[in-house]
Amino acid sequence: MKNLSFMRLSIWIYLAVFFAYLLGPLVIMSITAFNSPEFPRATPWECLTFEWFSALFQDERILNGIKNSILVGAGTVVLSVAMGLAGALMLTQIWPKLRATYYTIIIAPILVPGVVIGISTLVFWDRINRMVGLGADSFLSNGLFLTVIGQSTFIASYCMLVLVARLQRYDTALTEAALDLGATHAQAFRKVLLPFMKPAIASAAVLAFLASFENYNTTTFTFGEYPTLTIELAQKVRYGITPAISALAFIIVLLTVFAALFNEANIRRKELVAEARKEATVEELSSGQFKLPGFLSSNWAAVALVIVACATVTVVGTATVYSPQQCIADVQEQKRLETELRIQELKRQRELRRQQQEAEQGSSTAPAQSKPAGNDSGFGGVFAPTNLEGETEQQGSTESEGNNSGFGGVFAPSTLSGEDTSEGSGN
Amino acid sequence: MPRFLKEFFDRNGLGIGSLMLGLVLFWTIGLIILPQLSMLDFSFRPNLPPPEIGGPKDVYTMENYKYLVFGPEGGSQDYNAVDLKVFYRTLVAAIFVTIFNLILCYPIAYYLAQTKGNHIRIFALMLIIPYWINEILRAFALRIIFGETGVLNNLLVAAGIFDTPFDFVRNDIALYAGLGYAYILLMIFPIYNVIESLDRNQIEAARDMGASWPMIHRRVVIPYAKPGISSGCTMVFMLSAGALAAPQILGGPSSLWFTQLIYQQFNDNSDWPQGAAYAVVLLVTCILLVLALMRVFKVNMGDIGK
Repeated sequence: MKNLSFMRLSIWIYLAVFFAYLLGPLVIMSITAFNSPEFPRATPWECLTFEWFSALFQDERILNGIKNSILVGAGTVVLSVAMGLAGALMLTQIWPKLRATYYTIIIAPILVPGVVIGISTLVFWDRINRMVGLGADSFLSNGLFLTVIGQSTFIASYCMLVLVARLQRYDTALTEAALDLGATHAQAFRKVLLPFMKPAIASAAVLAFLASFENYNTTTFTFGEYPTLTIELAQKVRYGITPAISALAFIIVLLTVFAALFNEANIRRKELVAEARKEATVEELSSGQFKLPGFLSSNWAAVALVIVACATVTVVGTATVYSPQQCIADVQEQKRLETELRIQELKRQRELRRQQQEAEQGSSTAPAQSKPAGNDSGFGGVFAPTNLEGETEQQGSTESEGNNSGFGGVFAPSTLSGEDTSEGSGN
Repeated sequence: MPRFLKEFFDRNGLGIGSLMLGLVLFWTIGLIILPQLSMLDFSFRPNLPPPEIGGPKDVYTMENYKYLVFGPEGGSQDYNAVDLKVFYRTLVAAIFVTIFNLILCYPIAYYLAQTKGNHIRIFALMLIIPYWINEILRAFALRIIFGETGVLNNLLVAAGIFDTPFDFVRNDIALYAGLGYAYILLMIFPIYNVIESLDRNQIEAARDMGASWPMIHRRVVIPYAKPGISSGCTMVFMLSAGALAAPQILGGPSSLWFTQLIYQQFNDNSDWPQGAAYAVVLLVTCILLVLALMRVFKVNMGDIGK
């Protein structure tokens, strides 16, 4: 029994570590979106600020990237769901001998590195373009076209997998019955097969859009004049990062959580309604007295959804009235004070040490006292402790004057401590 | 018209049938097979300016592959040590990341598959949410954590474990963590799918017979989950060997990933045939490696992707 509880504990610890690894980075990134330093960091916390969000919404390139991403996503969804559906239907009908080969071919793009798909798409359509004899600005070398084509190559495989799973449960007798009753093939397809496939098509479309939206490896070779959001982000991240990117990430995280909770709440509600219907009596159902369970009752996802929504509204509400100027000024003031304190402290220590030294020197023998007299030598007074002190003191005072520049806090301690060590070695 | 085509159109009708056939042919031939062949063909050609393509100079050559092995002609070294080393390191690191992911994910997949309850749904949701978020942003998040003044360094220094900040980026730890992070889901889902269908009674029976936990996993669960494990490992290996975003963002300044070399050939040197040759080498090597490992572990190709 003791063994079992030990195992349970270790499982929970393992789960906690695992999910910390999985979610921790996202949480920390979200926190950096609200911190005021120019460089995204969660510690030390300085000021709550929303300026990174407004910086984000003023960034032309990001907005343009979002627009392009949506265009590419829409094209990819249409093309890859259509190809995926055709591929899945073909898989159920194809000659048994060819089946394995065919399956390998249509599943292969998932395993082929995205870089390779991007390159092959680029090279192939470039060649077609040349063969047809169109110029360099024809639609075949258009970034939008190439990106949609390149992404669809492998996203269609994902869609195919999703659709095949549902298609396997389809009873072909339904189509046959429709045909026997006089429907044309097109009608049977539209009125019988498509409605059955609708949930799978919806999830395939969502999957395709998400995959397209976040794709980088393939798009980076094909985008041309249509940089998608991911491309823009990659360029920004590679050449200097700002909390504005964290702000974007936070928005995406929030949207994702919303979508996931909404979906979960809906599923849960359907389950609850079905359960309630099962328990209701026939009279209740026929008379319309049947009471549906409330949206929030025993539905954790719905409760979480409402809480997240309320929190978002509150935060947005605060953001419109909140101004971090005071806090930023306070932090700067505080930094200045800290620096000054540190300088004072260093000065005092040095003073103390000098006094000690003087006391020691005073008590020691005469040769030590004669040292300063050798000042005319080549090195001058550089190594003499008193000289250094004068220098640092001077620097310290200029530093404390120039503190308003904001750099005071950064440079003062290091320079001072550097001087400090050199002074120490001089001694 | 051949008989099977006639049957096909009889079953699907002319309109729907030809639409289906057209789409499938476009996908398999126009998007999958021909581009790969064209890339292969391209990799054997010299790098020529556009007007000379198709001209007398446009002949097949091994030049691009020779470059990978021997370096530029008349170079100081016998072998192209830089590129070969990058290639070798990419493969070894990808294998390392795959093993790391397998060890990390197997217990989670087993736990999720064999436990019933409402909290499992929450876990599944928590697993999926990070994968709806952009690949670049995930790498960015790790960079915030692993940076020189990042959260992890601040914590470690504050806790007194390190005196000075440790450079995770230069030591490639950030890169390995990022690659592992990026493909966790691809490892968990195949294993989860297989283990979920494992009859709990088998485990109970093994336990009743006196098998210890490691024994049960070694003799019952792992053999049963082999298709899922191999399919997860294949996907993680192929994707991390072919990753581009994570090495670009999280890689140290001195360490390159092989895909970055390909990227440089295309975008910085604009030597497309050279880049295509590198891409072919990467693809072929990865496929051969996966096939060899599948043979060693006795797994069929048909199990992949299920």
